[in-house]
Amino acid sequence: MVILSIIIGCLLGVIIGVNAPLIPYAYSSYLAISIIAALDSVFGGISSTLKGNFDFKIFVSGFFCNAILSILLTYLGQKLNVDIYLATIVVFVGRMFTNLTIIRRHYLEKWNTKKEQNKQ
Amino acid sequence: MKKGKWTIIVTIGIMSFILVLVMFMQFKVVEQTDIVGIENMRDTELREALADWKEKYEETNKKLEENRAKISEYKEKISENKEVSEILEKELEEANIILGKTDVEGDGVIITLTDNDEKTYTYSNILDLINELKFAGAEAISINDIRVIGNTYIANISNRYIILNNNNKITSPYVIKAIGDQNNMQSNLSIKGGYIYVLSGNGYTINMEAKKKIKIYKHEGELDLKYIEK
Repeated sequence: MVILSIIIGCLLGVIIGVNAPLIPYAYSSYLAISIIAALDSVFGGISSTLKGNFDFKIFVSGFFCNAILSILLTYLGQKLNVDIYLATIVVFVGRMFTNLTIIRRHYLEKWNTKKEQNKQ
Repeated sequence: MKKGKWTIIVTIGIMSFILVLVMFMQFKVVEQTDIVGIENMRDTELREALADWKEKYEETNKKLEENRAKISEYKEKISENKEVSEILEKELEEANIILGKTDVEGDGVIITLTDNDEKTYTYSNILDLINELKFAGAEAISINDIRVIGNTYIANISNRYIILNNNNKITSPYVIKAIGDQNNMQSNLSIKGGYIYVLSGNGYTINMEAKKKIKIYKHEGELDLKYIEK
């Protein structure tokens, strides 16, 4: 059920996103940062689900708050003439990698245990 | 529990929708702007490009200035040519007036010579009169409305006729119109010992009157030159 809703949402997003009007180039950096933040939240959610401590409220609030905060930070950085978005990217991408590692390890361990079970 | 699950499902659906939507919008923007490739260039590269463009701009500007100068030069030349042609036209007009190729008008005198029973005018009388008028400063002369020009000849063909340009036969009365200084001409002709004084003393019928705005017609026919070589 959850997977179905994800697929429907993605399809709708692709269709509308392709047909959406062009955003001015000046705003594209904000969009990019918000995308990175949202992706980070998604991977964090997946890893926490695998760990078993997934909280839906934390996930949703993280998804939106991270995106908005990253946009605000980027804006502040542009006003201060400091590339704060670089720091944002470093943090989020680093966390994404950690979460990906967790996901990978989880499935590898699962696979290993299955193999051992089969052997036995 | 079921209600909560539904909200989770819907929220996740909306979230994935937003995420993918924003991602694709961003893809589009990047795709569009990547063509220019400006964002990939470094500062120094941008500066070089800027300098290049500035150079090009200055070069083009220079060319523009040159072309403008050329245009103004040509314009000057055109106006000069116009002046020259105007002067030439004026000269041509004057030459035509002097030659007798145009109708002219001006103050002058009209002299009428009429044959009477005793005396008949001959070509030499008229020749003398033309000569006298020219001496008195006549600028344009006509005899019976035939213009006297540079190569006008006056000759007898019989007692009754005198021929002029192109075999124009004329006979009495001879009306000679002359544009020029009226006082000078009148005094020159009617002075004691002058043309009119002598002829009227000899019994010829001669009449002279000063008139304003006499019209003298142009020379009819062509001025053909066959033997003069330029």
